[in-house]
Parts: sequence; structure tokens; C-alpha cells
Amino acid sequence: MGRRAAVILVLAAVSGAGLGAQQQPSVSARDISGFWALLADGKKVPPAKLLPRVTKAMIELHARRDVHALRWCNPIGMPLMMDSGTPIEIRQGPTSVVILAENSLVPRYIYLNRKHVSPDIYDPSTIGDSVATWEGDTLVVDTVGFHPAHGVTAIPGGGFRTDKTHLVERYRLLKNGDVLSVVFTWSDPTVFAAPQSYEFRYRRLPPAYEPLNEWPCDPYDDTRASFLGDPAPFGK
Amino acid sequence: MNNHSARTRVLAALTVICACMGAVPAKAQTKAESLPGLERLEGDWVRIDSNGSGDFGGLTSKFTPASLTPSGAAAMAEGARAAAVARGPAFAENTRHDRGQPYIVVSRPCGAGPFGGGVLGTNPDSGAIHFVVSKDAIVLAPERGGARRIYVDGRRHPDLRTWTPTGSGHSVGRIENGELVADTVGIVPGVVTAGGWRTPETHLIERFVVSPDGKHLTIKYQWEDPLIYQKPHEYQYEFDRLPEGSYALEYWCDASDPAEQQSVTPPQ
Repeated sequence: MGRRAAVILVLAAVSGAGLGAQQQPSVSARDISGFWALLADGKKVPPAKLLPRVTKAMIELHARRDVHALRWCNPIGMPLMMDSGTPIEIRQGPTSVVILAENSLVPRYIYLNRKHVSPDIYDPSTIGDSVATWEGDTLVVDTVGFHPAHGVTAIPGGGFRTDKTHLVERYRLLKNGDVLSVVFTWSDPTVFAAPQSYEFRYRRLPPAYEPLNEWPCDPYDDTRASFLGDPAPFGK
Repeated sequence: MNNHSARTRVLAALTVICACMGAVPAKAQTKAESLPGLERLEGDWVRIDSNGSGDFGGLTSKFTPASLTPSGAAAMAEGARAAAVARGPAFAENTRHDRGQPYIVVSRPCGAGPFGGGVLGTNPDSGAIHFVVSKDAIVLAPERGGARRIYVDGRRHPDLRTWTPTGSGHSVGRIENGELVADTVGIVPGVVTAGGWRTPETHLIERFVVSPDGKHLTIKYQWEDPLIYQKPHEYQYEFDRLPEGSYALEYWCDASDPAEQQSVTPPQ
């Protein structure tokens, strides 16, 4: 490459006329909207460090309840909806973000630039109360208010969520917006000896992707019910 | 490596760095891009009883009934017959009950159910509905489950021959006079408010109008299908914006909970 040619390329790029900028869709580092797929090579999950008080019996009880929740098509909630086997859709607006998992009927809401709802009036849920702010190019999401028993409570790497659980997520675009990194950090003084932190990296699906809206989950499907069983009948 | 090639590589590296900077032009933004004029749609809305009817049965009582064609009326009658088929041994809503006799109101609660597929996005009920306005799509997320998307990225409707109908169908939107106008097809066959009927081929055209103070939303509905309607079937719903600080309640329904199949006892 001649020196003159290289200088021309530099000037062209600085002036905003670079080929890359023209041929690729513009990606805002502060907009994580899109359809995202989590593949097997997108997960880095270390084993959790659990407190001694977390017994094998407690873990087994939560595992049975999780199967029950799936068996009866309950809302799965966090954290499973972020890795439920189907793509997720994220839509970011001026004041909020919504996350939709194709196979979960319950959306997740993240409110931007506001405080948590008072615990006196917040109704605990499988998704919790999520608020977020931007720190540079990272969306930091803070969630409390989880329901201790509703939905699937298992946390990747080990452990489970309770009503004392606190989740911090850091969303950041990589590779010019083709990859979404989410670092999850779970804290709970009744479950974890140290915060449980892991990273998922989602791949962006084509903009024209059409999600499936109606994944069937029929709690009255006898074949499905006998396959899953119910190791934790209601109230157990 | 001689000086010339080293200099060339540095310049080439600078080129790559600058090109990358050019491809991420909006780092200084504080908000996601959204559609001009539509930001006011974002937030939580709840449908109100604008007729002063006081009950669900009266909410649409003052709407002009749909004018069905003979084939539309026949399709609706057939749909009603299909819906009346018992769904299982515990299905008991249509049987006669004596005074004081408990009976099951909902035999199969929380099933794959009417709320799957975002049907509440085209026909909101008493639950709140949350709008998120992103630059490519507007998501309508009813509190009672499901989600509906209105794409504003220029895409067209899919070929209905290859589309599996859903509760909310396929919606594309455009902006007219600062208002969102959505066109929807591909909805599962079913009843439409005020005596209407729909098939996947039926077009639903909606206009979303936010009041100047941003506190009120009107959705104007227009159903068009020459096989079903003698003229477009029109009505509108009214919504109020929920107070600042409101949050979406999670709709919880556990089909294994005996209380969900609760019997009721008619008054003595």
C-alpha cells in the first residue's frame, strides 16, 4: 500500500465516509434493541460458592419446584428467561426496556433512570423490580423484589433466588453491535458465600427475524405431563 | 521491517480504528433512538370505561354493531359452535346450577389460553398495557401476558400462505401526522368486539392518538374484510396513562393451584 493511498483512507475514515460506516447499519452503542440468540459457546458460568447453610435438601426442594413450575407452564421468570432455549428480543425505548423470551408469556420490564419501587408496595415477582442506568456504554441493571418460590428459581452455576436476592447485570455491545455481552452477578446473604458472577454472550439475529409468538405450553397435555412428572405437587 | 512498511501498517491500523469509530456514531447519545413523535406512546396505559357502563358487559354496549355479510355471519356462527364444545370432563360452565350449589367457573385455568400470542395487544382488557417505543418496533406488552410487535422498520407483511396465525398477528406501522397507524393481518380466527369476526386475511387498521397533555390515549380500530363486513367495522377504546412510578404487575396463574379452579356458590 502506498503512503498516499493510506493517508487518503485515513482521511476518508475520519471524515465519516469510510466504507464500513456506509455499508453497515449504524449501531448505537447505547441501544441494545434486537433479536438475540444464546448459543452453547456463549456461556461462561463458574460454579457458585454456596453458604454452608444451603443444604442438599434445600437444593433438591428448589429443583423439584422448578420442575413443577415447568410442568404447569408457570411464568419462568429470571434467570431462566435469559437462557430458555429460544431467542430473546430486547426493545429499548426512551424510558424503559422490555425483554421477551419467545417461549415465555411474561415480559421483563426494566425502567430507565428511576428508583426501585418501595418494597412496601412492590408485589414480588419472577422477574423482580429492575431499574437501569447507563455507565458509559454499559447498561447497568439492578434488580430486587424477586418472589422466593414462583417460577424457576435456579441460578446458573448453583444456588437459587430468594426474596433477599439482589441481581446486577451489565449489558454491553461488542463487535460493532453483533454481540451482546451480559454479565450477571447474583448476591444473596442467605445463599451465596460470594457473589455468583457469570457472562452470557448473545449473537444478534438478522433484523428481519420473525419471532414465534405462540410456543405451546399446555398444562393439560397428558403426554407432556407424564413425561415431566410433578415432583412437587401444589403446596409442597 | 523497513520504515516504509512500518509507517504503512501504522496508517492502516489508524484507518481501521477510525473506520470502527465511524460505525458506532452515537456513543454520546443518552437515550436509545426512537421514532420521532411517537415517544409519547411509551409507558403504562390502562383502558377506561368511557361509557360509564360500570361493568364489562356494558363497556362496548354503545358501539355500533358490525354489519356482517352472509358469509361473515356464517363464519361467526360456526366459530361460536366450535367454541361451545366442551374441553374436558370438568368443563361445567354451561350446566344449570341450583341456588347454593357450588360449581366450577373455570375448569382449565392458565392453559395455553386466550392470552397467548399477544391477543391482548389487539384487544386490551382491564389489565394495564405497557408500550415500549424503539427505533425499529413498538412492543405492546399487556400485563396479563403475551406481547405484540408493530414493526416500523419498513418490512412488509409475510406471505399468509406460510404464516402461522397468532393472537396478535403481524403488524407493520407508519407515522401519519405524528400518529402511529398500524396495519395487521394473520390473526387467528375469532370474535371481534361489537359483533365482529376475523380471519387471518382480515385487515385491522389502528390509529394511536395521544392527547396533547400526554395523559390519554385513544386507539381507533377499523376492521376491513369484504368477505366478512359489509362496511369497515369501527370503534375505539380509551386509555389513561398510569401515574409516574407505576410498574407492571406480574400476572400469576398456576394451573396446579386448586383455587384457580375455584368453585363458586351462587347467592341464596
